[in-house]
Amino acid sequence: MPPVVKVLVKRALILFVIVLIATYITILVANVGGYIDELKKKEIEFQVAQAVQNNPQYKDLSPTEKTALIKKLAQVEIKRQGLDQPFIIRSFRYLWDAITLDLGRAEKMTSDSGSRSVKVIILERLPQTILLFTTATVINFFIGLFGGLSLSRKFGSFLDRLVIYLSPTSAIPGWFYGIFLIMIFYTWLHVLPPGGLVDYPPPPDPVGYVLSVLKHMILPLLSWIVSSFFIGIYSNRTFFLLYSTEDYVEVAKAKGLPPGQIERRYILRPALPPIITTFAFAVVFSWSGAIITETVFNWPGLGLTYYQAINLVDVPVIVGITVVFGYLIAATVFILDILYGLVDPRIKAGMGEAL
Amino acid sequence: MRNGMNGVSVAIFALMVALLLLPSASPLLAEPEERLPFNKYGWFDQVVFFSEPSRDKALDMLIKGDMDAYFIDISDPVAFKKIKESPQLEYDFSYGLYYELTFNPVGPTYKDGRLNPFSVPRIREAMNYVIDRDYIVNEIMGGLAVPKFTCLVKALPEGQRYIDILDEIEDMYSYDFDKGKTIIDAEMRKLGATLVGDKWYYNGEPVKVKFIIRVEDARKPIGDYVATQLEKLGFTVERMYMTFREAARYWIWGDPAEGQWDIYTGGWITTAVSRDDSDNFLFFYTPEGLPGFPLWDAYKPAPEFYDVAKKLAYRQFKSIEERNELMRKAIELSLKDSVRVWLVDQTAVWVRRKGLFLIADYAGGYPTPIWALTMNRDEKMGGTARIASAEVISDPWNPIAPSDAIYDTMLYDYGVTEAAFSLHPKTGLPVPINVKTVQMWAKEGLLTSANEETKDWFNLTFVDEVTVPPDAWYGWDVENQKIVTAKEAGVTTANVKFIVDYGDVLNRTVYHDGTKRTLADFIIPWILNFERADPKSPWYDESSVPNFEVYRENFVAWRIVSLEPLKIEYYVNEVQLDAEIIAADYTLWPDMPWHTIAIGMLAEKNREAAFSSSKADKLDVEWMNYIAGPSLKILEKYLNEAYNEGYIPFKNFMEKYVTTAEAKRRYKLYKEFYEKYGHFWVGDGPYYLEKVDAVAHTALLKAVRLLPYTIEKPARFLSEFMIYPFEIVAFGFDKSIVWKYYPAADIKSGPEGVSLVVGGPKVNIHTKVAFEEAGIKFEGNKMVVPGAGTYEARWAKMDHGIAILIGDNLYVAGITRFGTEAALLFVKEHKLNKALVIVKWEDKNGNGQVDLDEITAVFEKL
Repeated sequence: MPPVVKVLVKRALILFVIVLIATYITILVANVGGYIDELKKKEIEFQVAQAVQNNPQYKDLSPTEKTALIKKLAQVEIKRQGLDQPFIIRSFRYLWDAITLDLGRAEKMTSDSGSRSVKVIILERLPQTILLFTTATVINFFIGLFGGLSLSRKFGSFLDRLVIYLSPTSAIPGWFYGIFLIMIFYTWLHVLPPGGLVDYPPPPDPVGYVLSVLKHMILPLLSWIVSSFFIGIYSNRTFFLLYSTEDYVEVAKAKGLPPGQIERRYILRPALPPIITTFAFAVVFSWSGAIITETVFNWPGLGLTYYQAINLVDVPVIVGITVVFGYLIAATVFILDILYGLVDPRIKAGMGEAL
Repeated sequence: MRNGMNGVSVAIFALMVALLLLPSASPLLAEPEERLPFNKYGWFDQVVFFSEPSRDKALDMLIKGDMDAYFIDISDPVAFKKIKESPQLEYDFSYGLYYELTFNPVGPTYKDGRLNPFSVPRIREAMNYVIDRDYIVNEIMGGLAVPKFTCLVKALPEGQRYIDILDEIEDMYSYDFDKGKTIIDAEMRKLGATLVGDKWYYNGEPVKVKFIIRVEDARKPIGDYVATQLEKLGFTVERMYMTFREAARYWIWGDPAEGQWDIYTGGWITTAVSRDDSDNFLFFYTPEGLPGFPLWDAYKPAPEFYDVAKKLAYRQFKSIEERNELMRKAIELSLKDSVRVWLVDQTAVWVRRKGLFLIADYAGGYPTPIWALTMNRDEKMGGTARIASAEVISDPWNPIAPSDAIYDTMLYDYGVTEAAFSLHPKTGLPVPINVKTVQMWAKEGLLTSANEETKDWFNLTFVDEVTVPPDAWYGWDVENQKIVTAKEAGVTTANVKFIVDYGDVLNRTVYHDGTKRTLADFIIPWILNFERADPKSPWYDESSVPNFEVYRENFVAWRIVSLEPLKIEYYVNEVQLDAEIIAADYTLWPDMPWHTIAIGMLAEKNREAAFSSSKADKLDVEWMNYIAGPSLKILEKYLNEAYNEGYIPFKNFMEKYVTTAEAKRRYKLYKEFYEKYGHFWVGDGPYYLEKVDAVAHTALLKAVRLLPYTIEKPARFLSEFMIYPFEIVAFGFDKSIVWKYYPAADIKSGPEGVSLVVGGPKVNIHTKVAFEEAGIKFEGNKMVVPGAGTYEARWAKMDHGIAILIGDNLYVAGITRFGTEAALLFVKEHKLNKALVIVKWEDKNGNGQVDLDEITAVFEKL
């Protein structure tokens, strides 16, 4: 087996085992080792009892009849949620569903379209999440990259100092800017919608629908861009400054190479692996959405789904989202390992072993 | 199919809720609305629903005109101030949420020897004096609440029924800190505690009160206030701030004898107006409230109180008077017990744009079962209403076991389908929506009665015995696929019999896919109930069994006694204080046609989807959703199969009621509906579901007037008739009367579709035929109306006129032409929720003309 393949297979196996362990730990944590089962059962009994007590149709039942009814109805729900099975058995079922990416069924939640399939729950929210947050992440990345590169050339200029002074504004999270933007563009100017995915009622034609979605994206997108604008440029500018003070850059400058060539060959090229890494993980993490931004803009993204799953202790959904991201991160790490070898000639497969 | 009250009256409950609210000018005793402006064709052209969870943003949108009503209550006093000050907004109140202090009753000491002062009823009772409820109302809740002393909600029917004693109790237990402290001091000493300085000690340790304070809503500041009062009494308070889930393991299912807590800030909510809360005392104060729950198991009410509570809950009383006495006694004794000290009834605020008419249910607010029938702007048809809620579309919709979340029911149940009855949003009494009259016979001695408010459609008679006819349908034999008659079941008697007159509801195009309602729509869902509860059936669903058993216990049999009008006879054993509720509970109403259920039955039979969430989980298939998601493809497949086969459920029996050709016709229309609208939700309500976007959480409803086929809903009220387009029929002089009030009228010589027929039987042949069938007679200067009396006329001085709905038409006639004109003018100018009105005209000003102020209604009837 060629050393490259051997290394990759080994790497893949290690990553898989890590995902497996992380997933099972998630299952244990989400269930508090099975303790949550008892709480859930009691909660079901109490809620059923309340429902029966308050249902006018049961007013003519005697307390004894009501108690019997409550017990039966509670048992049905306990069974439905699978709480009649020991946790340890369920935990391995959760694990199998997760690892095989079947993802199983949610206990309480349903997808937007009403399905209990965890896969559908995730897949229905993912497009909106990617549309908003991945777009924001990509825009922010390139603003930071090119802004930082440009500013690194203007080290010490007024613009450079301005960006440094304004970079603390990024300590304020995007959703906070979102609230301000809503106040300005909806409450005050009344020119952009305060939230939601589309206009109400949604435009019937596809073009109108897309334009409406784009209109609803403006404020949340802007909130994320504003939030990351200065810190993104500042951190990239610092990053490039570090690379531009390397000895080989100084040598290139001494040789009299043109600045554009120095940037491309001597600064950007060696900086590429960390840039790619940052970009890849930023994109992957953008797929998890952002709970508060989604709440502020009433945007149907995956962040809210995750938050809701945690609140409801809907273990299959929590585990489903976790394992999907586990796999995504593992895949990203795996692909990055290959990419490093391609973009950085210093990295060679099997080199470690040879040494 | 859901029967008359299902979905409508499912009151959910729950503890802890994150809301709060107020009444500034006590709206508690507001009178019920006189007239509900029903329109079964939908007042608006379209109603858009969308989700907006942020109350602040919703207010902003309301003020800006981007939203017309918010179907979530506003709880913030600051927001309420903004609402009151806004010229664009109007608001209403509801009263379904209340707060209390739950005491741990174990003691005098816990297992670890720690003292629990609140094990002593006198101390708990004295807590009523040391809490200033007015302070909570005004300072903590910004006026959005009213003081509460008992488990009854003052604004709701039971509270109103015993308002006098509730007022007395309020005076008796009004805030008097010193009085409370004196009682508590004395009781603490009896327990062996000593006051050192200003702190109580027991066995050398400070008397600690472990106080669980919920943090999600107004209970946090309320808890802090109560804790401060406790500290003033000399207790050392440990404030345990917790969320519901954190607190539940202590107060709901922890062993109270462990002493992990002493007091908890409880909260309760009800979303439907209940008319009978007599079991509240057993529920809140005794071990029988929630047997098996440690806190309830620990309750030890005084024998007298327990006895009264049991008598009320088990209905061990022989008359309403005796019940009243027991209720009064229970109210008083509950204060002596005080394992719960009630604090406030919160007042929830519901907001809408000025000019938009909406009725707020006293318990549930705007998303009432009649919002779609009544929501309007100046009672004019047309336009768009934009409604938001915290969530829109949350769980699957299907005809058998759909989501019960209000975010779904407000649409599929209240907007897109109708019911036989609804509940009055303020009194909780049934309101007939698709029923003309109900005649009821109850066994002598049963404790039930009819209400004055329902006398024009409901009649109750007591009889020695209610006999069930042998041919009445008792049940369904799943194995042999046949009806089980009362005779076969050996059933001969019941507690109650009632006959529902639905009017002419059969063979009319009423469903949104253009299909007509037939008897099969009543029968198939009823049979399916039995199938779902029988393990031998492919539709068996164990989750349906508990409710079915209750139904089977109470429901005896039914029988179709007439088709035009449709009359069904029901026999039941259920007894409710309000006899109307018995009828509403068991009256069948097919709000969705049988063929919509049939395709779901095929999907479930083939184990590709299931109606109930429970069965879907068991089979690991989709919980059937008729509006979105993976279910649609499955349902489409079975619609095609049903169409190709001409599928009729329970064919051996049902072929008496449905032909294969009719089944195919239905499926064809259904297919066309699905192809056009992209979903399978077909109802009979005032609006149909035009478009649903589940991911964007928005739904567009359109008025059934805008469907490509004519929906035929005979008007139940004169007011309903007058808002729909109609033709006018008149002869001779009556034409000039018509043109006086309808100058542009194109007067016909015979009814064409829905018609207003003007003129008495002497000049109008159509009136003559209709009145003869109805038994209305005109003899000389007299008019005789069965059940309404005899009326006279004196030419040009005094006259009587009648306006009556018969079939699809409205007939207006007078003894002389003055009476005809008076009746026409009256129904044109007055919006009456009646099907019959008799008016009297007197020429008071002597001008020989019919003037509006000279006309009075002398008889009205539904």
